[in-house]
Amino acid sequence: MQKKKDSLRKNIKKGLVKIIKDAVTRAPQEIIDRLNSIKNEESSEIAKKQLELILKNFQYGAENKIPVCQDTGVLNFFIELGAKFPFVTNFQDIIEDAIKEANETIPLRGNSVDPITGQNPENNLGINVPPIYLDIINDSNDLKVTVLAKGGGAENISKLFMLNPSNGFEEFQKKIVETLNEGGGMPCPPVILGIGLGGDASKCMCLAKKALLRPLNSRNPRTEVAEIERELIEKINDLQIGVMGLGGDVTCLDVHIEVAMRHPASYPVGLIVQCYSHRIASFKLNKEGSIAYGV
Amino acid sequence: MEYKLNLPVQKKELTPLQVGDIVYLNGEIVTGRDQVHKRIIDYKNQGKKIPERFYGLKGCGIYHCGPIIEEKNGNYQVISGGPTTSQRMDHLENEVVSLLGIRFIIGKGGMKNLKTKDLQVAYLSYTGGCGAIINQKIKKIKHVEWKDLGLCEAAWFLKVEEFGPLIVAQDVHGKSLY
Repeated sequence: MQKKKDSLRKNIKKGLVKIIKDAVTRAPQEIIDRLNSIKNEESSEIAKKQLELILKNFQYGAENKIPVCQDTGVLNFFIELGAKFPFVTNFQDIIEDAIKEANETIPLRGNSVDPITGQNPENNLGINVPPIYLDIINDSNDLKVTVLAKGGGAENISKLFMLNPSNGFEEFQKKIVETLNEGGGMPCPPVILGIGLGGDASKCMCLAKKALLRPLNSRNPRTEVAEIERELIEKINDLQIGVMGLGGDVTCLDVHIEVAMRHPASYPVGLIVQCYSHRIASFKLNKEGSIAYGV
Repeated sequence: MEYKLNLPVQKKELTPLQVGDIVYLNGEIVTGRDQVHKRIIDYKNQGKKIPERFYGLKGCGIYHCGPIIEEKNGNYQVISGGPTTSQRMDHLENEVVSLLGIRFIIGKGGMKNLKTKDLQVAYLSYTGGCGAIINQKIKKIKHVEWKDLGLCEAAWFLKVEEFGPLIVAQDVHGKSLY
């Protein structure tokens, strides 16, 4: 039994190192395909030229196995642990081991800074990093881990709105569009938005973050929510902020909204902004220890 | 229009540049983001000596960038080095530009309060996220100052060739694409 656990632990670390590397050195195919099609339809010459450079950069990063963006971000880990998966741990130590290896072999930029002293240990480790989100999945035999490399520029535009329930539903779209308008080129548009509607302050931010894991062009199953997602994409594109804020037709690649019941007195809305360079990768490990990537 | 410019430049070389033009730079630029800007201004206010090397940047450019640096046998190399968001340095930049005689600010997202016309400094946008491919244009790290700020925050003096494409996003006539 111990031998089996050791072997699973080894495979988890191997999987983690691989998905960190994949996430930071190449863009998901769905992003590449989407940017390619935007490039062909874009009416702004400046936006077009930049999209060409962006696609060349993705190719160069993947071929040379180096980070496409120097900001390798805060690595966010999303763990879906099957209740029947034979190995249970808090995963913190395995993730830290994997980050140590990734720091050396990729390499990653040191993105963990002590908020009191300003010191950077240059290893992406320290107090309360990296963020790990753990969900237990009933009836599942598998372990799935997704890593999202979240850069600072886009994260800085993220926001929590505690709206008035009397007009929160009517107001929130306006608030989000205003936020993106003020953000201009800062979050590296065209952006992807994760939005959490309802819940409480922390729940809506968490839902917003997790909403970013949904595939591009996927809509919320509730039709009225899906409709809001489509409306928001259109309104943000109407801002004509364009690639890097230099003008153009496409400012928003997608909007993903997740919903939670709220307190009668609160209307919380969480907004997490992601740059076009949506660096994400995942693996799935079954209980026998066989691993599949990009699932 | 497309321009290839050798650094340092004279003030008059900025006059033809219009928003939307493409620029490639040859010569020396320095990386500087949050902490470098803060320290330059702090040192100035406290009467502390700013390293001589910074004054050698007259007519050159500051690049808002926190690169990934690799050290091999005592030599540093930029692995990936795209731009960071310029707006964070906005409240300090005019003072830094005046003090060092900077002619180009390179970054992403633009700067709301940069006095491009008064100070005759142009803002050049390099596409965010394109950090890997630009490493071909960074020929050498010539020098580093203030490494104690951390590898991402330090001032890396870079020798660049055909550094770009950079888009003139705020020109010296006061026009802006933002």
